[in-house]
Amino acid sequence: MSTLIERHIVSLLAEKDDKAISLLYEHYGDTLYGVAYKVVRDEDLAQDILQESFIKIWKKADTYDPSKAKLFTWLFRITRNTAIDKLRSVSNKSDKEVQIDVSDVYNLGVSGIRPEFMDVQENLDKIEPKYKIVLEALFFEGMTQQEASEELDIPLGTVKSRLKIGLRELGKIYGTSITQLLLIILLS
Amino acid sequence: MKEKVQQFLDSDILEKYLLGDTSKEESLKAERYITMYPEVRETYDQLQDNLEAFAKMYARKTPEGLKEIILHSARKEKVATKRFYRYAVAASIALMVFAGSSYFLWNQNKSLQQENTMVTNQMNNLQQNMQNQLEDMRNQFIVLNNPATRKYAVNGKREGKELKAIAYVNPVKKLSYINVSNVPDLPENKCFQMWAEVNGELVNLGVIKNFDEKDKLLALPYAENAIGYITIESEGGNTSPTVKNIVANISY
Repeated sequence: MSTLIERHIVSLLAEKDDKAISLLYEHYGDTLYGVAYKVVRDEDLAQDILQESFIKIWKKADTYDPSKAKLFTWLFRITRNTAIDKLRSVSNKSDKEVQIDVSDVYNLGVSGIRPEFMDVQENLDKIEPKYKIVLEALFFEGMTQQEASEELDIPLGTVKSRLKIGLRELGKIYGTSITQLLLIILLS
Repeated sequence: MKEKVQQFLDSDILEKYLLGDTSKEESLKAERYITMYPEVRETYDQLQDNLEAFAKMYARKTPEGLKEIILHSARKEKVATKRFYRYAVAASIALMVFAGSSYFLWNQNKSLQQENTMVTNQMNNLQQNMQNQLEDMRNQFIVLNNPATRKYAVNGKREGKELKAIAYVNPVKKLSYINVSNVPDLPENKCFQMWAEVNGELVNLGVIKNFDEKDKLLALPYAENAIGYITIESEGGNTSPTVKNIVANISY
């Protein structure tokens, strides 16, 4: 979340400098690829989505308004929506229903685990499953709160509160990891 | 006010806005609250940070070579956009040239049409003039050749003593002409003016200007027992004859 690099990328995007794409890929590529993969759960499809999303980002570069959203939020929205659209078109084709695989929550991204992601993986495990399920349903499955309530068989009010609390919990986890990191730096 | 903000924060609009799942109205509402209330802005910023943190937990190593594919398609897109702009610029220039030449041609066409109208008018005038002159000549010929034509010699008196004119009157054809053959010199600010008394009314026949055309016949309005006068008037002529300045009269 380097604001400096963010600002640099934004100015490159505004100038339509293709260095912006390279930098975006370096800084956000893995995360956005993870988002796409989390939605479609297919490597090839996720690659297509990432490519499509980057082209969209590149084409829409002049519509990005830093006062309305942080760069990552904007990138996330584009990637997530591209992935959800893709998933819907694929499901329509294969006439399959999109379902939440609850077991998936416990073996998240197992195939994609790399040492450099171990710490975030740990963080992910810190989130209580009841919040994680709601967040994933809303963030990655493209469900409305009503749909999530029906799919997960949880009252709508609970979905709303779990979304709020879940997002707040995230803040705490992120906050603690930063504090831990600072402590480690200070102690060493 | 606080209640309204709390109500907004309690609703799920901000979370939906974060993900880009809001309707147009909800987006506008969210943007308004974010701009107006610092606590909403703070919550929104926090949500954005948390979203980033959450999404990062799902990060996955991108496959080798994907970056190059993406960069390549982005560059292709840029070239296509550039080409489009280049075509757009070329099209705009072509359009401007076309518009400019159209205007030029339209203008030229307009002035040619005006010229055409002018030439046609001139030709018509010329034709009319020639017809009038021909008519005049024919009348002169008739008058001069007709045996019924009577000829009156007109001699001036006083200042116009040297004035010599001959009037031809034909009562049958009801035509009369005058040929002023000699006109005495007058001071610069004076001129000769001809009049005719027709049925008791004086008709201005105009100023005698050019005596270079000595053999030219001037038409006079015809009437029974009409009288023609020549007076000396101030330069440019007068609206009614100055009786004391009558230098010649012609009864016919």
